[in-house]
Formats: sequence, structure tokens, C-alpha cells
Amino acid sequence: MADPNGGQEMQDLDQITSTWPRPPPFYKDFTADNLARLADLKRERAETSNPPSNPDADTNNSNRDDVLSHRLTGLPANLRNLQPPAAPDEGAWRIFGDPYRLVQPLPKLEEGGEIRPVVANGGLLADGERDDKHFDRATVLKRIAKSLLLNFLELVGILGQNAMDASEKVKDIRDLFYNFHHLINEYRPHQARESLIATMQAQLDRLRAETTAIRDSKEKVERMLEGLGSLKIDQEEVAAAASATTAAADKAGASAGRGMGELEDEMWGSLVEPAV
Amino acid sequence: MGDRLTQLQDAVDELAQQFVACIHYVHRHHNLETLGPSDEIRVLSKDAEQEVDSHPAEVFKAAQVELAQDLITKEQQIEYLISILPGLDNSERDQERNIKELEDELKLAEAQHQQAIQEKKDIMSSLDEVIRSIRRP
Repeated sequence: MADPNGGQEMQDLDQITSTWPRPPPFYKDFTADNLARLADLKRERAETSNPPSNPDADTNNSNRDDVLSHRLTGLPANLRNLQPPAAPDEGAWRIFGDPYRLVQPLPKLEEGGEIRPVVANGGLLADGERDDKHFDRATVLKRIAKSLLLNFLELVGILGQNAMDASEKVKDIRDLFYNFHHLINEYRPHQARESLIATMQAQLDRLRAETTAIRDSKEKVERMLEGLGSLKIDQEEVAAAASATTAAADKAGASAGRGMGELEDEMWGSLVEPAV
Repeated sequence: MGDRLTQLQDAVDELAQQFVACIHYVHRHHNLETLGPSDEIRVLSKDAEQEVDSHPAEVFKAAQVELAQDLITKEQQIEYLISILPGLDNSERDQERNIKELEDELKLAEAQHQQAIQEKKDIMSSLDEVIRSIRRP
């Protein structure tokens, strides 16, 4: 960089055209203190505003979370940016200058103006509800596909005879293509529901398999514990027998320590043997 | 590789492109004919931009056959894709009922799952107890 001014310009350009936009200036407001202060404010507001509106104590408790997540108004300037802006009421918003809508209806084929629909009324019933059983989409699509080939054949024929007459045929083919795409796009919500069903089914299967596996291993452990339980009974019997022998041994004046040692060996033996 | 609807739409777009390609080929490589005895085919110099680049008759014929076959193949692909569209015989109401049923079943299965986990925890704690209680007396 020979020219320092040129370097400066480059830097400015870099800032304007950098891959990621710079963070909004209010990111500095998100300090731990401010967040704690906002939480305090929310709690205060919940305590002060809730009881009058909800005299019932039970609903008060259940609604508290709602109030805590509710937007507060009239905050000090440094806390105002801590809560996200309210959701758009009308389902329409702008991002980077482009308008977006929550509901995006598929534009009707006729609305394009020139396109002639192949299927009258778009396959809708009189009450406006779609019934895919009576409207056989697959058949219509197959028919359109065949019509496309036939129309193309006719187009080639016309082009061979007199190329000036071809524009009508081209229009036909264009309409057929538009219709085809429109029918497919109409089918998209259907496919979305269908994939939702498939996903739910898969989840259900997975969950059930998991439950069975857990139950199986649980039963295994239970059986094992039962086995151990029966062992314990043996052990008690052994202990009872052993106490009898120790009593006898005591009576006989033998060393109690040696008697206990034998008892231990006997008990461990009984504990290990069935397991092997 | 998208979902089937997207595949179908792509296939239809390809069919349209094939239409254009067919016409372009025929337009570009057909032979030249004289329409009357006074006509004659002008011979352009090799390096000049030629509007028509005639192919030999048999090559042209073979190419036409191939293009036609490709068109038929693509159309059959499209028909196949149509026939395997998901849930063709389910109406919207069927789907909604299906989804509701699945939702209920999922809730039930989830409850059973939780129950099983709880049972597993219980059995694990009792197993734990047993293991802890095992010691050399």
C-alpha cells in the first residue's frame, strides 16, 4: 500500500462489504447487572400487577411464568433492548427491506392472467374444501405429461409446415407446463403432512422399541435380584445354623474367633457357589 | 436429491429443456433442399458463421431417433414419479385423523417410556442397595 489514503478507503470498503454485519450497538447493554436488574423488575412487576388482576391464588401461581416472560413497558433506556421486540401482530414483517408474510397462499393459476387452467376450479369442491379422493391428481398429472409429448409432436409438425403458426402451439405447451407445476405445488402441503406422519410413525416405533428394551433389561435385573434374594435366605439359614454351631462351640469352650472364621468361609462359599 | 415433488418438478423442467434441445438440433443440423429448379445451395466458406451445419442423413436420422427415445424415457420417468407420490390415496381428512391418532399414540408411548425409565431407576436403586450391602461380614 503506497498510498495511505487508499489503504483507509480499502478498510472502509471492507467494513461495508464484510461477510457478517456488525453487531447492533445495543449488545453492550447485555451485562450481567442489567440482566439481573431486568429479572428483578419483571418479578416486581409480576408481584405488583398480578394480584389485582388475578384475585385467585391458584391462577396467580400458574400465571406467574407467563408474567415473567411477558414484555414490560416503560423500562429505562439501558434495559429497553434486553427484551426481544413484540411479535408482529398482523403476521407481516420486513427484513432487510423485503416484506414477509406468515401466511403465504399459493397464487392461483388464473391470477397470472394468460394461463388457462387444465383442471376446472383447481380441483376444489363446492364448499372450498379439497377432496383428494375424488380429485385424482396422479391421473391428471399423467394426462398432462402425455399431452405435453403430443403437443410437442404437433409443434414439431407445425414448425415443419409453417413456422409462423407455431406460436399458438408454444402457448399450449407453456400452459401445460404451468399447470403441471401448479398442481405439484398445490400438492406440497399434502406431502408435508405425509412426511409429518412418516416422522411421527418413526418416532413412535423408536420410542416403543426403546421402552421394550428398557423393560427387558429391567426384567433381567429383577430376575437376577430374585436369585440373589433366594441366596440371602440360604445365607440366613447358614447364619442360623452357624450361630447354633458357634453356640455349641462356645459351650465346648473353643475359640470364638476361629468359629467365626469358619462361618465366614461357609457363607462366602454359599454366596459364590450358586452364582458359578 | 430433493423430495419426490421436487424431483418431479425437476424432471418436468428437464423435459422442457429436452423439447428445446430437440428443436435446436433439428433446426441446426437439418439438410438443405432446393425448392425449385432455379434454386441452388450456396456454399459458404468454412470459416464463415454457418446458420445450418448439415449432418449426413444417417447421422441426422440416428440423432433424431435418440432424441425421441430420450423424450419418451423422460416422460416415463415423470409418470413413474407421479405414481410414487407420497400418500396419493390419503385425503386431507384422512391425514389429519392419522396425525391425531399418531399424536395420541405418541403421548401414550411417551408415558409408557417414562414409566419404564422410572421402573428402571427403581430397580437400579434396589440393585445398588444390594451391591452396597454385599460385603465381607
